[in-house]
Amino acid sequence: MVHLRDFPKKARDTLVNQDLPEYRQTDCVSGPALRERRIALITTAGLHRREDHVFSPGVGEYRIIPDDTDMNDLIMSHVSTNFDRTGFHQDFNLVFPFERLRELEDQGEIGSVAKFHYAFMGATLPTAQEAVSKDVAELLKQDNVDGVVLAGV
Amino acid sequence: MGGLAHYIEAEGIPTVIISLVREHTDRMKPPRGLAVPFELGRPFGAANEPEFQRRVLLHALKLLERTDGPILDDFPDTAPGTSQDLEGWTCPVNLAPPKTDLSDRERFALDLKQEISLLRPWYEESVRNQNGRRMNGLTEFDPNEIVDFLTQFLETPDMDSIIEGIHVGRAVKLTSDDLKYFYYQAALARPSAVTDTQIGSWFYGETLAGKLFLRLKQVMAAQDDEVHKAIARTNLVPHHQTHQTLD
Repeated sequence: MVHLRDFPKKARDTLVNQDLPEYRQTDCVSGPALRERRIALITTAGLHRREDHVFSPGVGEYRIIPDDTDMNDLIMSHVSTNFDRTGFHQDFNLVFPFERLRELEDQGEIGSVAKFHYAFMGATLPTAQEAVSKDVAELLKQDNVDGVVLAGV
Repeated sequence: MGGLAHYIEAEGIPTVIISLVREHTDRMKPPRGLAVPFELGRPFGAANEPEFQRRVLLHALKLLERTDGPILDDFPDTAPGTSQDLEGWTCPVNLAPPKTDLSDRERFALDLKQEISLLRPWYEESVRNQNGRRMNGLTEFDPNEIVDFLTQFLETPDMDSIIEGIHVGRAVKLTSDDLKYFYYQAALARPSAVTDTQIGSWFYGETLAGKLFLRLKQVMAAQDDEVHKAIARTNLVPHHQTHQTLD
């Protein structure tokens, strides 16, 4: 298994103890009840549509995944070799649970699913992503999103 | 990812992150986080387990209603599928023991192409089984064209890139990923639970393509170019396969 606890100690220590920027507390923004919220997904798995450019290491950039994308045609250009891809190969929802989000909408657990979702590539300095994440926030507002689930790999 | 949550929440949009590395989330303190005890690469637990995936997603979503951050909650359950379930995986193709004399480029390339031809029916079946879903496609090249490029690179690492405007080292990374995805998809032709380590042990230990990757790592590590060195360090052979050798 590619569980963090199963990494060789040196590799695990390198990953866990890597330099990370420190952040002052960001106050939680309030919103309506979950059943009234419009939800978007953001993945840092380096996912994108087949026709999009692949991700480049170290660059703060993102790709847009519209809700009418054929999610079965998403591909992954993340540079890291150190996470499992076999699960994603068998089921994209394991990384990008778009169908699960639709089901929660159908069940009335959330209000609606956003029109646009987003992908970044992890293994990028968070500070390099600051400017483009503000661009994404603006796009999320235009889509009336009031809840975002971010999932890494 | 914790940084993204800070930036987006600061712009007025509530966020929650699914965290596979609890220590990072604990240090970066995003507004809301859900630590999950799953494999890296599997933030929603297990493939083809919709009920479980939905439970993880809903657990995270419910945290959006809280404003007492920074919140770091823990998902209580491990993912479905035990190690016993995973013991039975074998690749559908029995390949000849990989040759390790890589000095004859033409011979090595031919043997690689023969290996690819043996795997291609399984790759195509796998694509059919997944309703046309293909994992490769980061580049426009066929596996045989990739073999020609990568074996040429082993001989002349200062060659021109095969992809216009892309550093030759990045082209090696993208094309080698495409080649590996071709192999992985072929190996997944028979539906079964399989781990990244199992399939990695097959790829890096039992295929000629795996030997190609090990050799690429050696060659790139020996270059002065920092792009090559960086790719050699972490982008070709995963930590769980660094014990594999060319001997």
